[in-house]
Amino acid sequence: MKQQHISIYFFSIITVMLMCVSVNAQNDSLISTVNDSLKIKLKYGLRVGGDVGKLIRSYADDNYTGFEVNADFRIKKALYIAGELGIENKTTTNDYLNVTSKGTYLKAGIDYNMYKNWLNMDNMIYSGFRIGASSFSQNINDFTVYNTNQYWQPQFSSTELQKFTGLSAIWVELIIGIKAQLFNNLYLGLNVQLKGLVNETVPTNFQNIYIPGFNKTYDSSGIGVGYGYSISYLIPLYKKDKK
Amino acid sequence: MKQFNGLGILFILITIVSLSCEPDDICPESTPTTPSLIIRLYDISNQESKKNVSGLRIQGVGNDNVLTNFNVVTTDSIILPLKTDAISTQYKLHKEYTYNDNNTPDDPNDDVIGGNEDIITINYNTQEIFVSRACGYKTIFENVTITLENDGNNWIQFIQPVNDNQSVENETAAHFNLFF
Repeated sequence: MKQQHISIYFFSIITVMLMCVSVNAQNDSLISTVNDSLKIKLKYGLRVGGDVGKLIRSYADDNYTGFEVNADFRIKKALYIAGELGIENKTTTNDYLNVTSKGTYLKAGIDYNMYKNWLNMDNMIYSGFRIGASSFSQNINDFTVYNTNQYWQPQFSSTELQKFTGLSAIWVELIIGIKAQLFNNLYLGLNVQLKGLVNETVPTNFQNIYIPGFNKTYDSSGIGVGYGYSISYLIPLYKKDKK
Repeated sequence: MKQFNGLGILFILITIVSLSCEPDDICPESTPTTPSLIIRLYDISNQESKKNVSGLRIQGVGNDNVLTNFNVVTTDSIILPLKTDAISTQYKLHKEYTYNDNNTPDDPNDDVIGGNEDIITINYNTQEIFVSRACGYKTIFENVTITLENDGNNWIQFIQPVNDNQSVENETAAHFNLFF
């Protein structure tokens, strides 16, 4: 774009000059625009990776197991098609509830690189958009009735397993993150996600406590948050000139 | 410049993530949860007007403690918590309660307890209703009935439900009327 403007600019200047000083026809040197002889090639390809954060959490947190594979594919200089596929199993416990949610999720969308790389560097500071969907189940392992009056104790508690299967949820997501090239074709990524729940199947006389991929739900709103910490590898498919 | 914008947004998002950490994991006091049974006291000779009972002491049958806020009080309404793990709760409603240990606090045999004690039995079905992630489930009570044990000298004349098939779901309005 810029170069186009510059050439138009030059062209008009030259035109003006030619018109004004038509006698003087020795301005040839201006016409040839500078052409960069050093061409930088950008790699295009499929980048696949895994979420290391979820692996570490699976190891460290007894109430969580999960894994996510992610991939992106560069379609324009700064534009990527991106997606994630994951599986999670999370037990949420508080004083009154013990609930296990498990299921799979798929997210698809685009990432836009806002970072201007120098030369042939390939780092990203990006923002992106996703549509996410999850298919999951929830089990109430046990619950105890909430009562502000504790004159009679204990309160009723149920240890009978209640299963809610075939649940689903759809949400939209905004992502901000960075991806840095550590070694040739190997990238380390970090991102945070802000989600808005669009639709969910609400179980009878219960609610979705944790939705795989969407993460924890909130009583007050359909907002969710998340983070990712990934290592990925670029499978280069072809190269294009950096314009 | 653009990368600084990105970092700014990243910073804001991280702030949101850390701020969103759990104010709603505490059950707010304003949330209606397991209700208690509310009984209004009326005058038997003038059934439209509320009447105070004096020296009222309430204790659950099978509970060692006096019901909080009902240890010898004068009131025209009583609030009784119900057992959530049973389908029946019994209370001793003791009117004009007096107690004299005859200067022997260690010996309960010569204690003199004055007043009139009536025993009521509250029968019901329970149902667990989901409230929220922080409050979990509450119990509501359906088909609630109250029977008065006849001891030959009842101060309570009769107890009437406000509605047919009275349920106890509401935390604020009276569920039964007691006439004495």
